[in-house]
Amino acid sequence: MSLTSPFQMVGDPAAAACVGDVCEIPQAAAAPTAPEDTDTNPLLSEHARVIRQLDENRV
Amino acid sequence: MSTPIKVDIWSDVQCPWCYIGKRKFEDGAAQFGGEVEVEYHSFELAPDTPVDFDGSPKDFLSQRKGIAPDQVDMMLDRVTGIAKSVGLDYDYDHVHQTNTIKAHELLHFAKSKGVQLEMKEALLKAYFIDGGHVGRIEDLADLATTVGLDRDEVVAVLEAQTYLADVKADVAQAEAYGIQGVPFFVIDGKYGVSGAQEAAAFANVLEQARSERDEPAAATQDAS
Repeated sequence: MSLTSPFQMVGDPAAAACVGDVCEIPQAAAAPTAPEDTDTNPLLSEHARVIRQLDENRV
Repeated sequence: MSTPIKVDIWSDVQCPWCYIGKRKFEDGAAQFGGEVEVEYHSFELAPDTPVDFDGSPKDFLSQRKGIAPDQVDMMLDRVTGIAKSVGLDYDYDHVHQTNTIKAHELLHFAKSKGVQLEMKEALLKAYFIDGGHVGRIEDLADLATTVGLDRDEVVAVLEAQTYLADVKADVAQAEAYGIQGVPFFVIDGKYGVSGAQEAAAFANVLEQARSERDEPAAATQDAS
């Protein structure tokens, strides 16, 4: 199923979320003190989010 | 006086990132400093889970998803550590994996009484920290009294499925929006934020929404 969100996606596309009945534990979430890049690039594209969903390992 | 910035949040009660994301959002909203109106919406991660699933999340993940027990342990240890970093003491040894449809019905009832935020916090705390059962009507009714709801009224509306249609409407809306995972935040009906973002990300988007309200003419010029 493709993402059809009508919203302008913002924030870190690698943020941890639960999809279906499993929850993604991306490496970024495993290091909560890692610096984020929202100051320089607060608005990330929906395309990036879709790519992330396709690429990211889920557990 | 400006109207609050509306934040619609889709989440599930048994979603570990939803509770962590809730804390980070609250931190971000505090950094933002403006007025925010939050409304929670229902999202069922595992709607086919039996209410009385006989096992823990570890059992659920290993039996239902075929994940090796040692890998499940590692996953839960990691999420527990991240929860700890935002002040939440997850206790997976005592979590009751269950179906959350009744919990979502209760959240809609609580909204009708003006205590949805308090009920949401109570449900998440019960599930992840206190070892409470959030699938059974009697347990939910007990929990509801802690936020001031009438126990008998809660039992009545949950048994009658009074708010089931509202839960299903939320789920359908999420599907229409293309929401595949939770937590999912919609800021002022315009910006989508997926996952347990850092607090600064929430503060940034709230500020962005406020600035666009304050300068609608400038925003229009920028868009042209």
